[in-house]
Amino acid sequence: RPGGCMARAEPPAASFERRVLRSAAEHHYLRVRLELPDGVARPTVAQFKQLVVSALRELHGEVGAALPVDVLTYEEKTLSAILRVISSGLVKLWSALTLLGFYQNRRCAFRVLQTSPFLLALAGNSRELVL
Amino acid sequence: MVRFKNRYVLCEVVSEDPRCRQCIEDRAVGLAIRDAIGRVHGDYGLACCSISFTVKYLNAYTGTVLLRCRKDSYRLLCSALPFIRQLESRNQRYPCALNTLHVGGTIRTCQKFLIQYNRRQLLMLLKNCASEEERRCVQKSLLSCSLTEEQPQSGDEEDDGSTE
Repeated sequence: RPGGCMARAEPPAASFERRVLRSAAEHHYLRVRLELPDGVARPTVAQFKQLVVSALRELHGEVGAALPVDVLTYEEKTLSAILRVISSGLVKLWSALTLLGFYQNRRCAFRVLQTSPFLLALAGNSRELVL
Repeated sequence: MVRFKNRYVLCEVVSEDPRCRQCIEDRAVGLAIRDAIGRVHGDYGLACCSISFTVKYLNAYTGTVLLRCRKDSYRLLCSALPFIRQLESRNQRYPCALNTLHVGGTIRTCQKFLIQYNRRQLLMLLKNCASEEERRCVQKSLLSCSLTEEQPQSGDEEDDGSTE
């Protein structure tokens, strides 16, 4: 406002720009753990991927089985893995993992521990924080 | 106003084996389609498409099939139709393929399309006639399908395609 006001040092108006990106990430990452009863031979990484693809094929057919899913890491001791899937296929993959019931005719279950569009976010898990 | 919208898919059964025509019945076609959807889209796709799925109309002489499904899942149905390779009925299976001719929102639009399509097909048949005998047969059957005077509604009666 010209003149008239009390002298007040105003910094030059900073121009800023806000960008909001919705669902812009290409891939989603899931940390999952497979729960198996005792006495079942633990699957190797190839068998694990085969299990994931067969779950997708059962629920979503050939189209679902063709979804590009990658197993980034796999630990045979704890049966936990990090999966990567294209963002548009997250719902299909998660629902297929939820509804998978059997591995080699034994009951099994997939627990999804963390999910994020950024891989780095899977590094820290506040649920496992020991206070 | 909220209502359930349907899509009507008009397809044609194409087969090299002439005995396939006796296999074209609503149960056989319905089972073949459900089976194909189950293979391609899994349990979820099968359940989605089966909500309001029926074979509405079937013509074994021309191999025309009219299917109905929900508007939300007609894309799943249409994408699974090319994966049908055979029709099975009474323990006999014949290889065939399904061509999609038209997708409409009502039976009436599909009927309008089918009438125009059949007219064009008849003209093509006439053009491709091999012998004079066939030509005379086709012309006779074309001239013989006409409305009788007693029909109260002046609707477009479908020209059922020429006989085998």
